[in-house]
Amino acid sequence: MPEPALDIQQVRKSFSGHVAVKNLSLQVPRGSVYGLLGPNGAGKTTTIRMILDIIEPDSGTITVLGASSLRGRVGNRLGYLPEERGLYKKMQVRRVLRFLAELKGVNRREADRRIERWLARLSLTGEDRDWGNARVDELSRGMQQKVQFIGALLHEPDLIILDEPFSGLDPINAQALKDIVVDLKREGRTIIFSTHLMDNAERLCDAVCIIAQGEKVLDGTIATVKAEHGGRYIALALGEDRTAAGDVAAVLGDRTLVQRVDDSNRTVELELAPHANAQLLLRRLMDAGAVVERFELVQPSLHRIFLDKVGAAAVEPGMGGDG
Amino acid sequence: MAKLIAVIKREYLERVRSKWFLLSTILGPFFFGVIFIVPMVISARTRSSPDLSHIVILDATGTQLGHRVARTLAGGITGDVSRADVRAVTPSTLAAAESTATRDVMRVNDPMLGYLVLDSTTIAGKAERYAGRNASTLVDVKTIEDAVRRSLLAQRLEHEGLDSSRIRTLTEVNLEMRAERLTERGREVGGLASAIFSYVIAFVLYMMLVIYGQQILRGVMEEKTSRVAEVVIASVSTDTLLAGKVIGVGAASLTQIVAWALSTAAVYEGRGLVLSRFGVGSMSIPMPHLGLVAGVLLLLFFVLGFIFYAALFAAMGSTVSNEQDVQQASMPIMLMLIASIVFVQPILLDPTSTFSKVMSWIPFSAPILMPLRMTLVQIRWYELTATLVGLLAGCVLATWLAARIYRVGMLMYGKRPTLRELARWVRRAA
Repeated sequence: MPEPALDIQQVRKSFSGHVAVKNLSLQVPRGSVYGLLGPNGAGKTTTIRMILDIIEPDSGTITVLGASSLRGRVGNRLGYLPEERGLYKKMQVRRVLRFLAELKGVNRREADRRIERWLARLSLTGEDRDWGNARVDELSRGMQQKVQFIGALLHEPDLIILDEPFSGLDPINAQALKDIVVDLKREGRTIIFSTHLMDNAERLCDAVCIIAQGEKVLDGTIATVKAEHGGRYIALALGEDRTAAGDVAAVLGDRTLVQRVDDSNRTVELELAPHANAQLLLRRLMDAGAVVERFELVQPSLHRIFLDKVGAAAVEPGMGGDG
Repeated sequence: MAKLIAVIKREYLERVRSKWFLLSTILGPFFFGVIFIVPMVISARTRSSPDLSHIVILDATGTQLGHRVARTLAGGITGDVSRADVRAVTPSTLAAAESTATRDVMRVNDPMLGYLVLDSTTIAGKAERYAGRNASTLVDVKTIEDAVRRSLLAQRLEHEGLDSSRIRTLTEVNLEMRAERLTERGREVGGLASAIFSYVIAFVLYMMLVIYGQQILRGVMEEKTSRVAEVVIASVSTDTLLAGKVIGVGAASLTQIVAWALSTAAVYEGRGLVLSRFGVGSMSIPMPHLGLVAGVLLLLFFVLGFIFYAALFAAMGSTVSNEQDVQQASMPIMLMLIASIVFVQPILLDPTSTFSKVMSWIPFSAPILMPLRMTLVQIRWYELTATLVGLLAGCVLATWLAARIYRVGMLMYGKRPTLRELARWVRRAA
């Protein structure tokens, strides 16, 4: 098995008596897109800061790209986009980017060449205006985010850590960034991204690790996680005819058939009760007069697994969307 | 090393490119020019009131002293003595005469400027009295006092049998003290010129430490509050970031000092041109000689002082997360700087006193007060060396503390830490 891009073993970190990360162990395969998932305050940012050597773990080991310390050249092979975005507000965009590149050991000439390429790719230079010459505080929030994204990639890192990369971006820019993440993976780079938005994680990640209250809840490839932690789920869509709504509701409320219902308005995700039969459920629905438009055995969504494993109590309002 | 250079370059260039830097660098010499030239212009133009002879002289001496004073005030025998109103009075009528004179001073039409009382104590060379609307104008009072002294002297000499023209020649004395400082290099200009020069040096050092120290504090706070610190700290260690910041900002302040020194020197050289514009003849302004060793020592004190204060300002900047806390955070450091500058005056008056010596040895005041003493008096080499070693130790301690506070503070948000929490940060970072 090839050496992982990141190997965390039994890492623990506490602040003033509060344990932020408890004996966390995980491995990120090289060339994969890895999701570090968890609710706010789960310990994701603390873990990332330890990976980046910004803070030291109290115990345990972290091996990044084969090195146990980021001092020296290994540090230059890491790219980082923090959750809390920020740039030097009074500085010109090109100068900020050049500075960030120089901090990662890229010489000025090469940095300038890459800056131009990235500014053009993310539509920050154009015929109407060259935002590269603007001061950072003249840029919109989305543009600033794109500049910071460029800053994390200018030195062409082997391991890229993106903390909530899509928050605050409109769908077009979010898609542009997702495309870049996919391209980076194709180039063989490893991407770790932390998020609490499960839909993004499910679409982009090869593997995930869910942590809550500083502890690992589960990890593995998306397929393994779904196979190991998912129950038997049915995606159900009903027609507009609601004349039999009462009877249909009674069927869905039968706990010998359906253990849980997750109603998303147009589609309902059902978890079958243990030992219940999908055929029986379909027959009962038809008998109750339901107009069934879709009845499909599906794997549970990551969102569903997350809710099951982490517990709805640990989830803050607004989570689980599709941002 | 490349990362340190990148941080230094950013800190230096971003400051040097700013409009504030450009403006203050250009206007600095004008500011210093104004400090030097305006007092000269003002003193050159300061004259006693043009109509100073328009006073009442109450002469209770029973001599001709009142008329002599009137003549002296009018500018000698060729002057218009009619402007003065000399009234011969006796000691018993003096009080009534003073009341009348007061009315003459206060009247609306052609009021007198004031009244001068000459009596037996004046003849005895002890006292004279003057009351008038210009009694607070120092130069007027000095002129009247001088006129009475000269008149009394002339009167006494006349009594001894000297003729009036001989007396004028003998009493016309205008002395100017030229103090010179004796140093190992020999005689140098001293007195006021040396004191002003020393004061300017101390003041510039203080100003640069305050201005650039505050800039560092705010820069660190902005880096922290804008969260850019997290990206930077992920690429460089906090120690490198702190060092780069102190060196970069320090280099910017040195650039400004050098620019100021050069342009002030240009203003000094071209002072004749400027002064003649104001109608003041080119005068020689004695400037103390600053040798190479003294120059290097001044630079050393500035650099070490800058490291000491900049490190502390940066550490304090890392403890605040909002503008409201900035003043409070910088207060302890500002107190050390203010304590240094308030002792400039006593040290200027007596740079060799024990108090002056001790103040110039303490690491936090040494960067300002030792250069001040150095330019005032000759300091022994061992005293300078010991002070520099002490300051260096202060720098090591300050940067050690600052690095630890900075390391933890940069990633801490929320309320400002208490002293106990700061101590815990230092322990934790260590």
